[in-house]
Amino acid sequence: MAALDQKSPNVLLQSLCCKITGKSEADVAHQFQYAVRVIGSNYAPTIERDEFLVSEKIKKELLKQRREADAALFSELHRKLQTQGILKHRWSILYLLLSLCEDPRKPSNRVPVCSYGALLAQALPRDVHSTPFYYARPQSLPLSYPERSATAHNSSMATSGISSMGVFSINGPGPTPPSLLTGPGPQAVGESMRGSRLAWTLPVSSSPSGAAAAPRPPSGPSSSPAPRPPQRQRRDGDGSAEIGEAALVRDILYVFQGIDGKFIKMCSPENCYKIDSKVPLCKSLRDTSSRLAELGWLHNKIRKYTDSHSLDRAFGLVGQSFCAALHQELKEYYRLLSVLHAQLQVEDDQGVNMNVDSSLTLRRLLVWTYDPKVRLKTLAALVDYCQGRKGGELASAVHAYGKTGDPHMRALIQHILGLVSHPILNFLYRWIYDGELEDTYHEFFVASDPTVKTDRLWHDKYSLRKSMIPSFITMDQARKVLLIGKSINFLHQVCHDRTPPGKIMPASKSTDSPKDATELFTDLEGAFQSKIDAAYFETSKYLLDVLNKNYQLLEHLQAMRRYLLLGQGDFIRHLMDLLKPELVRAATTLYQHNLTGILETAVRATNAQFDSPEILKRLDVRLLEVSPGDTGWDVFSLDYHVEGPIATVFTRECMSHYLRVFNFLWRAKRMEYILTDIWKGQMCNAKLLKSMPELSGVLHQCHVLASEMVHFIHQMQYYITFEVLECSWDELWNKVQQAQDLDHIIAAHEVFLDTIISRCLLDVNNRSLLNQLRAVFDQIIEFQNAQDTLYRSALEELQLRIQFEDKKRQREEMGEWGVTAEQEAEENRRVQEFKDTIPKMCSQLRLLTHFYQGIVQEFLRLLMTCSDESLQFLSFRLDFNEHYKARDPRLRPSLGATRGRRSSNI
Amino acid sequence: MASPASANMNAVRETMDVLLEVSRLLNTGLDMESLSICVRLCEQGINPEALSSVIKELRRASDSIKVLTLTQQ
Repeated sequence: MAALDQKSPNVLLQSLCCKITGKSEADVAHQFQYAVRVIGSNYAPTIERDEFLVSEKIKKELLKQRREADAALFSELHRKLQTQGILKHRWSILYLLLSLCEDPRKPSNRVPVCSYGALLAQALPRDVHSTPFYYARPQSLPLSYPERSATAHNSSMATSGISSMGVFSINGPGPTPPSLLTGPGPQAVGESMRGSRLAWTLPVSSSPSGAAAAPRPPSGPSSSPAPRPPQRQRRDGDGSAEIGEAALVRDILYVFQGIDGKFIKMCSPENCYKIDSKVPLCKSLRDTSSRLAELGWLHNKIRKYTDSHSLDRAFGLVGQSFCAALHQELKEYYRLLSVLHAQLQVEDDQGVNMNVDSSLTLRRLLVWTYDPKVRLKTLAALVDYCQGRKGGELASAVHAYGKTGDPHMRALIQHILGLVSHPILNFLYRWIYDGELEDTYHEFFVASDPTVKTDRLWHDKYSLRKSMIPSFITMDQARKVLLIGKSINFLHQVCHDRTPPGKIMPASKSTDSPKDATELFTDLEGAFQSKIDAAYFETSKYLLDVLNKNYQLLEHLQAMRRYLLLGQGDFIRHLMDLLKPELVRAATTLYQHNLTGILETAVRATNAQFDSPEILKRLDVRLLEVSPGDTGWDVFSLDYHVEGPIATVFTRECMSHYLRVFNFLWRAKRMEYILTDIWKGQMCNAKLLKSMPELSGVLHQCHVLASEMVHFIHQMQYYITFEVLECSWDELWNKVQQAQDLDHIIAAHEVFLDTIISRCLLDVNNRSLLNQLRAVFDQIIEFQNAQDTLYRSALEELQLRIQFEDKKRQREEMGEWGVTAEQEAEENRRVQEFKDTIPKMCSQLRLLTHFYQGIVQEFLRLLMTCSDESLQFLSFRLDFNEHYKARDPRLRPSLGATRGRRSSNI
Repeated sequence: MASPASANMNAVRETMDVLLEVSRLLNTGLDMESLSICVRLCEQGINPEALSSVIKELRRASDSIKVLTLTQQ
C-alpha cells in the first residue's frame, strides 16, 4: 500500500477502471480516457467542503432508508475516523461513498442497462465538460419510476435544509425532476410523507429540536395531510391582498443577519424586531415571523459584543479568544444563512410554481432554525454574563455556564471554554516551566510587583490575583502554581542559579504542550492536578537542595541556635569571662573594635573554632542603643550577618527577634555567672572569716539568700533550656527536615521564633512577668554588690587584725612590750567600730531578702495566673517545698484552685 | 523507526476498515481494493463528485457490455 501511495492519479485511475470493469488494461483504454477527462475537467465543485454536512447527509440518507441502527453505527464509525486523523480529505471520501450509496430496498438501478449502454457511446464526450449530471437529462427515462423514491427524495431535500441542486442530482441515479411529476395525486402523497418524515427524523438528527417536533403528531400518512393543503391554498390565495409568505421569508432572512427588512424592522425603543403594524398580515404569520426575528436580535447582541471587543487590545488574550470562539459560532450560523439564501435563489430562478412543497416557508424556517436559535440564545446569555469581565474572571464565567444538564449546551460551552482557557493555560505553562510572566493585560492569576527588590522577592514580589483565578482551578492549585513560578524566579534572581528549568523537571517537560488544553480543563482532577503536583514537587525540591547545598541553610540555622541562642556553652562562658572587665564599664566607653577582638579570641580558644569559616565570618558584635546609666552588660549583643538567599528565611524581623531573645538569654546567663561568683566568694572566704565569729550570723544570712537565688536561677535556666529552646528546636528541626518547599521552612521558623519569644516572656502578654523577673535579676546584682562590700570590709578588718597580731609578735620577739595601752585601746576601738557596722549589714541583708522574697512571691503569683502549662510547671518547680506558699497567703487559694482545676481537667 | 512505521500502518489499516464498513453500510458496492484506490485519489485532492460519476459510468458501461455479450451469445 505504501508503494502505491506514490502513484500518480492516472495510474490509480487506470487500475480502478480495470478493477471495476474486470478487464485488462488494454481493453479499458476507452473508459480510462473518459475517466481522465471527467476527472480532469475542472468544473467547480458544487458541494461545500464540509465534513460535517456530508456526514449529516449520510445519516439522513440512512434514516431515509429507515435504518436508524445503521445511522448510529455510522456516527460511531465517523467518530472513529475523526480520531485517527490519517486522512486529509475525510469529507471527500465520505462524499464519494454517499454518492455511490444505493438503497438496498430499491430495485437495482443497473437493470435497464441497455439504454445506458447506448447512451454512453454517444453522449459522454460531449456532456462531460459542461456538467457532471448528464445522466439526469435524458428524456427517455421510464415514467414508471417508483413514486416512493421520488417523494422520499424530496423529503430528504427538505429536512437537510442545506441541499443544493448538485446533491439533488447525485442522490439518485436519475430521478425525474419533480416538475414532471406535478399532479394532484403524487403531490398530496409527497406532502404527507414529508410531514411524517420531518416528525421522526428531527429528533435523531438534531435532538434539541425535539421540543419543536413533539407537538406535531407523530403521524402516519393518514393524519398529516389534513392540515397542510388548506394552508397551501390560503397562501396561494392571499398572495394578492396581503404580503406573500415568500416576501416575508426574504425579509426574515435579512433579519437573521441583523439587517432590517422591508416589513420587519428594528424597533429601537423596545429593542426588538417588529413587523410594521400597518402591513396587512394574518396573525399566525405575524406571530411566526416575530418568533423567527428573535434570532436576528440574538445575532445582533452577540455581534455587538464581538465587534466592540475584538479591536480592544486591553481586553487581553483571554477576551480575544472568547471573541474568536463567538466568531466561530457566528460563522456556523452564517453558513446556515447562506444555504438558506441559496435555496431562496434557486426558487427564484426556477419560478414560483415549480416544486412548491420544497420551497422555503416560515414554518420550515422555524423548524430548521430551532437548533441554531438555542445555541445563539446560550451565547447571548453568555455574552450578557461575561460583560465587563476579562482574563481568568471571564473563564470562570464561561465555566459557570458549562454546568448544565443539556449535553449539547455543555458541549458548546466546553468548546468555548477550551478556546478561552487556552491563553490561560499558556500563561500557566510558561510560568511553571520557565518562570516567566508574559501577562501584559493582567489576566493571569499570578501578579508581579515590579517595584519589589530582589531581597524581598520571595515575600512580596508575587501575589495571587484572587478574582482572576478561574473557577476550575482550586485555591490550593493556584497557590502551588504561584509557588512553582516563584521558586524558579527565586532560583534565577536570588540564588543566581542558571540551571535551565528543563533540567529541574526532566520527566514532565517533554510531555507537556498547551495543545491538550481542553482535555486538561475538562478532566481536571486527574492529569492537570498531577502535572502541577509534579512541577511543584520537583521545583521545590530543587530549590531546597540548592539552598541546603550551595547556601547551607541548615548550617546557618544551627549556627543561630549555637550563637544567638547560646547553644555553644563553652564559647559563651569563655566570652563572658573575657568580656567581664569590659562590660562592667559604662556603655559609652565601649568600643566595637575592642569587643570584636575579644570575640575572636573567644572563638579561637573554644570549640567554636571548628565551625566553618563561612559561619564564623558572619558572627559579629553589636552594641545596642545606649541610654544613660547603662553598663556594658545592657548594650552588648552578638550579631549574625545574613545576606543573599538565606536572608529570605532570616528576615529582618526574624533577626530582631533573635536579638531580643539573645538579650534575654544573655541576661539570664549573666545572673548564673554572678551567682557562681557569689558562691565562689563564699567558699573562699568562709575559712578566712572563721576567725571572726561575730560575722557568722551575717554570713549565714548571705548563704541562705544566695542559695535561694541559686535555686531560682537554676530553675529558670532549666525552664529556658529544656522547656523552651530544646523543645521548640526539636519541632523546628523535624519540620525543616520534612519541609516540601521554602514556605514550609519559613513558616516553621517563624513559629519557632514566636514560641521562643512568648515562652521567654518577651511578648506583650507576659510583660508583668518579665518585669518581675527583671526585678529579681536586679536584686541578684544588688545582693552581689552588698556581699562584695561586706567581704571587702570584713577582709580589710581581718587584714588589720592580722597586721596587729604580727606587729605584737615582732615586738615580743624583740623583747619589747607587745602592745602599749594606747595601741590596744586604738585596736579595741577599731574592732568595736567594725562590730558596730555588723548590725547595719544585717539589716541591709534582711531588707534585701525581704525585697527579694516579695518579688519572687509576686512572680509566683503571676505564674499561677498563666495559662501556659510549662509556666505552671515552672511555678511548681520554683516552689517545690511550698516555702513561698507558706509565707504568702495569697499563693494558697489560687494554687489550690489551679491544682483543682488541673486535676479536674485530667 | 520500526515502531512508528508499523503503528502508522496499523492506523492506516484501521482507517481503511472503518471506511470499508461505512461503504458497506451505504451499500456502495466497492470492494477493499477499489476503495483503497478511491481513498488515495481523494487524498490527492480529486473532486469526489467527478470520481463518483466516473465509477457509476464505468459500472454501467461494464454492465452494458456484459449484457451485450450475453445477447450476442
